[in-house]
Amino acid sequence: MRRARGGNVVLEVAMWLPIFFLLLTGIIQFGKITYIYYTLSKTVNTVAAYLATQNGVNFCNGAGDPIVTSAINFALTGASDGSGTPAIFDLTADMIGVTTQCIDPATGTPGTCDTSGCGLPSGGQRPDLIVVSIPNGYIVQPRIPYILLDPIPLKPQSIMPNVGGS
Amino acid sequence: MSIQLAVIMVPVLFGMMGFALDLGRLYLVRGELNHAAEAAAMAAASQLIGTAGALDHANTAAQQAIALNKYYFGSLTLGQDAGNLTNTITDPAYFSTVAGATGNDPNGSAAGGTTARHVQISVTADAPLLFWSVLSLGASRKTPIAAQVLAGVSAPLCVACGIEPFAVAAKDASDLVDFGFGSPSDDVHYTFYYNCTPPAPAFLPDSGQYAPYTIINRYDAGNTTVSDETDQLFRYGAGGLLSSTTPNPTGSTVPLGCVGIGDSVEAVWNGPLFTAVPQLCTAALPQVAAAALCGLFSRVDNATLPAACTTAVTDYSPLAAAATIDTDPGLTQDLYANYNGNGRRVITVPVVDALAPNAATPMNVLGFRQFLIQPNPDGTSFNPSDSNGRFVATYIGSPMPLKQGNIDDRFGFGVCPATSGPGKVVLHQ
Repeated sequence: MRRARGGNVVLEVAMWLPIFFLLLTGIIQFGKITYIYYTLSKTVNTVAAYLATQNGVNFCNGAGDPIVTSAINFALTGASDGSGTPAIFDLTADMIGVTTQCIDPATGTPGTCDTSGCGLPSGGQRPDLIVVSIPNGYIVQPRIPYILLDPIPLKPQSIMPNVGGS
Repeated sequence: MSIQLAVIMVPVLFGMMGFALDLGRLYLVRGELNHAAEAAAMAAASQLIGTAGALDHANTAAQQAIALNKYYFGSLTLGQDAGNLTNTITDPAYFSTVAGATGNDPNGSAAGGTTARHVQISVTADAPLLFWSVLSLGASRKTPIAAQVLAGVSAPLCVACGIEPFAVAAKDASDLVDFGFGSPSDDVHYTFYYNCTPPAPAFLPDSGQYAPYTIINRYDAGNTTVSDETDQLFRYGAGGLLSSTTPNPTGSTVPLGCVGIGDSVEAVWNGPLFTAVPQLCTAALPQVAAAALCGLFSRVDNATLPAACTTAVTDYSPLAAAATIDTDPGLTQDLYANYNGNGRRVITVPVVDALAPNAATPMNVLGFRQFLIQPNPDGTSFNPSDSNGRFVATYIGSPMPLKQGNIDDRFGFGVCPATSGPGKVVLHQ
């Protein structure tokens, strides 16, 4: 009788153990993805908030503008010249996209800005909103043993009003 | 034995998993809501320009900004309910002081449009629960998360960027609040005219005070996009000083796109077109002043092409077409509180100790103050072809936040912090 009950416990443990293990690794992976998503969201928000208060950003040049470059470097590494330690492994400056939107004064809805003046004396339209995103996503691969999962692209986005100067 | 253990352990395990997963997601949602509230608060604060209609504009801006940001891994939109997940955006609360907004001032109640300087945005949104939903404390399968952000207009700036380069002399340098221009509530209308050798030109209608101006030297020899001098002057008049990495032509450490209080080497415009000989008021308006005045004109009218402007500014037609006009050009000369536009008619000018007659005499910047450009009494725009560069503007103090500047005495002039003047939009919390 005792031997039979001992066998039951071993069997039960053997049945439960994979499920527990799966739950545990699932929690770890989910926690990792949440953490990465939060950090990415914080990063794009930092870029947007930095750019929203700057003077003299030329949004015509996109990521080629020196202020946009330093904003991205600052958000990624904590130093505007990019000399700091990256907060997220494998997140590079070229993955972050900075675009702009202009609010139509008639309808009040955001749309694309007029860039026809770019490079000319009149200059491009001053954007009302700064949109920072990771267009192609930051790819995370959930790793759970014996289960093959598709990589997940994380695409946080931050939109800030442009309260900075021309 | 193992059944009992499982019964005890399941709630414990789910509670622990809740800590690991649900709590993490709640923090994520809180961060995202904070970002959305920050965007809304900054958008609203930038609309607090001290007019009766400012709060309406601020509310609209806040709603626009908040609805663009998403939460819960970017899947839910604020302002829209998703299933049983609701979210509430409380109406922005406006305060005249930070102490009033943070509840530290017993008298700090909600402010009206003319006095509001700070705005508080509160957002509450439901976040879904996964593991805690099986426990009694999360039976509704969701929990509300709140975020609150306070933004507003900062302390007076010591260095103001992107302002208009029309320097005026203080009427009374010892009056640190209004520099002798009178209280903003007095609604004093000034006839601005380009500084010249007396006798002074006649007053424009509905104006009994003079404010002669000169254009401060911000000639940007290194600007490759706006290389033409008259185009630069137009852009400065139409949208304020442009940011540049070129050194300041006055030799000051202040960047070319900015003006600093206490900067004593400020000079009148000294580009290639400037004629150094002091002009008689009866002479024709110098091209330097005409180009800047045409820039100002494009703020109220960007459709007509006055002959004086097409002559004075090299690329007037495309430049005027790209300029944003004020949404309230004004029908009659009006009180600032009733102004309902987008701020284009408000100019922020450096106030100096005395206007220099020539390029060699330095001027000392005392502060920055704002004026509202007024139309003619019949509602038409001011005349950019005026031979003295005249226009009427009302002294309004410094209610409108600037786009950019520094609060600290960054360039070591030793006269800051300023006690009065325009601020910029900042986040307080």
